[in-house]
Amino acid sequence: MEQKGVTIWFTGMSGAGKTALAIRLEKELRNRSLRVERLDGDIVRQGLTRDLGFSKEDRDMNIERVTFVAKLLTRNGVAVLASFISPYRAARAKVREETRNFVEVFCYAPLETLVERDVKGLYKKALAGEIENFTGVSDPYEEPEKPEVTIDSSTETIEQSLAKILAKLEELGYVPPAEDDSAYTEDEEAEIEARLAALGYL
Amino acid sequence: MAMGFLDKLRSKKQAHRVVFIGLDGTPYTFFKRLIDEGRAPNAARLAEQGSLLRMESTWPWVSSVAWSTMMTGVNPARHNIFGFIDRDPATYKQFIPTSRNMQAKTLWEVLSDAGKRVIVVNVPVTYPPRQVNGILVGGFLSPSLEKAVYPPAYASTLQSLGYIVDADPWKARESKDLAIQEVNAALDARIRTLYYLLEREEWDYLHVHIMETDRLHHFLWQQMEEQDPAYAPAFYDFYRRIDDMLGRVADKLDGDTTLLWMSDHGFCTIRREVYVNRWLMDNGWLRLRNVPPDRKKGLDEIDPSSVAYSLDPGRVVIRVRGREKEGSVAPGAEYEALRDEIAAAALELRDPDSGEAIFRHAFKREELYHGPYLEQAADLILAPYDGYDPKGALYKETLTFKGNELVGMHTHDDAMLYVQGRTIPQTRFSVLNVMPTLLNLLEVAPPDQLDGHSLL
Repeated sequence: MEQKGVTIWFTGMSGAGKTALAIRLEKELRNRSLRVERLDGDIVRQGLTRDLGFSKEDRDMNIERVTFVAKLLTRNGVAVLASFISPYRAARAKVREETRNFVEVFCYAPLETLVERDVKGLYKKALAGEIENFTGVSDPYEEPEKPEVTIDSSTETIEQSLAKILAKLEELGYVPPAEDDSAYTEDEEAEIEARLAALGYL
Repeated sequence: MAMGFLDKLRSKKQAHRVVFIGLDGTPYTFFKRLIDEGRAPNAARLAEQGSLLRMESTWPWVSSVAWSTMMTGVNPARHNIFGFIDRDPATYKQFIPTSRNMQAKTLWEVLSDAGKRVIVVNVPVTYPPRQVNGILVGGFLSPSLEKAVYPPAYASTLQSLGYIVDADPWKARESKDLAIQEVNAALDARIRTLYYLLEREEWDYLHVHIMETDRLHHFLWQQMEEQDPAYAPAFYDFYRRIDDMLGRVADKLDGDTTLLWMSDHGFCTIRREVYVNRWLMDNGWLRLRNVPPDRKKGLDEIDPSSVAYSLDPGRVVIRVRGREKEGSVAPGAEYEALRDEIAAAALELRDPDSGEAIFRHAFKREELYHGPYLEQAADLILAPYDGYDPKGALYKETLTFKGNELVGMHTHDDAMLYVQGRTIPQTRFSVLNVMPTLLNLLEVAPPDQLDGHSLL
């Protein structure tokens, strides 16, 4: 199956699991021989958009530049995994419009959980007023209204979330199903298990 | 007269060849006893001509793990075969590991890449058969002969030889007499095939695995040990045929071929089967949704409040959050504390009948394994004292049991290796050393990063 490019857009507050999921998904897609590129907010902000801050205007410009790159890659048959807080609905809608093949993955966890996790120590600083314009604390996050996938990292394992995303990508035809690597039919497996049980190995 | 140019070309050195016989589960100590008692004259003669050595198996000491380690030269966290049964920790779907799950290159593929012609028959975990330069016949977990053979067309030759994939274990459980009948019929077919391949096919490496030894031992080891007059003679008669075969094979080999044989573990009489999940339940570490559990649901019958469960043989898995389905044990300090607690308790566990200790060691997985598939390994591997056979049944009503059908179990430190024509000084080594040794004999460079070294 020829690879159909797609932009898979992970959105959610800091610490919700966007990057972790994108990394995990990248590994799985590469296993299925797809071409993949990751665009990550933390990394992009050290390079392509290092001149930008976190005001609304700057956030919108951040997403606009990333969209430019994502669109180029998507139309050349690459699976783009983009992990950005991207708190504004309008900005995300523009990415969807531009890239056309677009799958929005809303990475959710309750704010209390994110503050407790505080994986990068940022919530503490934001709550102390040391960081301004911090999403969830001093800046809004507009939850997606109709994302293709919603994951909840407070109740799901990463494998469960991955399974949901893959199911959607397979359904939409962006990703071929995993090769069935079972060496046995169901009947064969039952017979082999019976053989092992007879020998006391199960 | 000095050799002319053309004469030199004609007399070019014959490349070295190897014949390798697998004797599944034949203990070194038992085989030595046969030799010492005059019951194996051919093996005795061959032992004089080479090195017959005691070898350590793998942990756990099951054939799928041991032969996977032999054929890849790496430990389980690199070849990814940890037992006869395994599970996907995220879904709890259980599966039987096959060659598709094996993540390392096999000896026969390395030899094939080097231009050697290989014939490999009946080795565990070789189904589905991988492509080789030669012939490969999958082991006893092949669903049929037709599916077990590479190239597929060779199946018809094997059928004409009356080749049998495996002795019928259910028949063997019905009676000891049937067990003897079944293993002998399978052995006949296996040896007949060995002679055919030895004499009629081209090969640089010929490997035939005798599984029937392990079968015989599972059903009749105790009868042999107790010198049961009804069955011990048949047991020794079986080994006379093994000895005859070794002698006949050796006699057919030219001076440029080395004979080796190997067993993957030893055997002893089962004193008690030990149901590790029963023990985990008794200690509150495992709870089931239903008692007795619905067998069709497998590990899904594990209640989410459980913190551990066991897979055959003696593997304990801790239900770590983020790895195990609905796992609740936090990685890090909580995991380590629980693992230590279970390990310590295992060493304290006593046979309720005899009062003796059941487990001699509780290995943490990182003590045994290293490599990219470490996460697939169980968290603890319990090493029993000889005679205590740890089992993975999800539910049993008692902690221990002694049955009459399966009477023999595997042991760890009584496997053997024979290398014809060589003196091997090393006295302590394991299955990991076998592949590098074979590559050395065949003058083929080993792949990078094997976990063992050649014994030569």
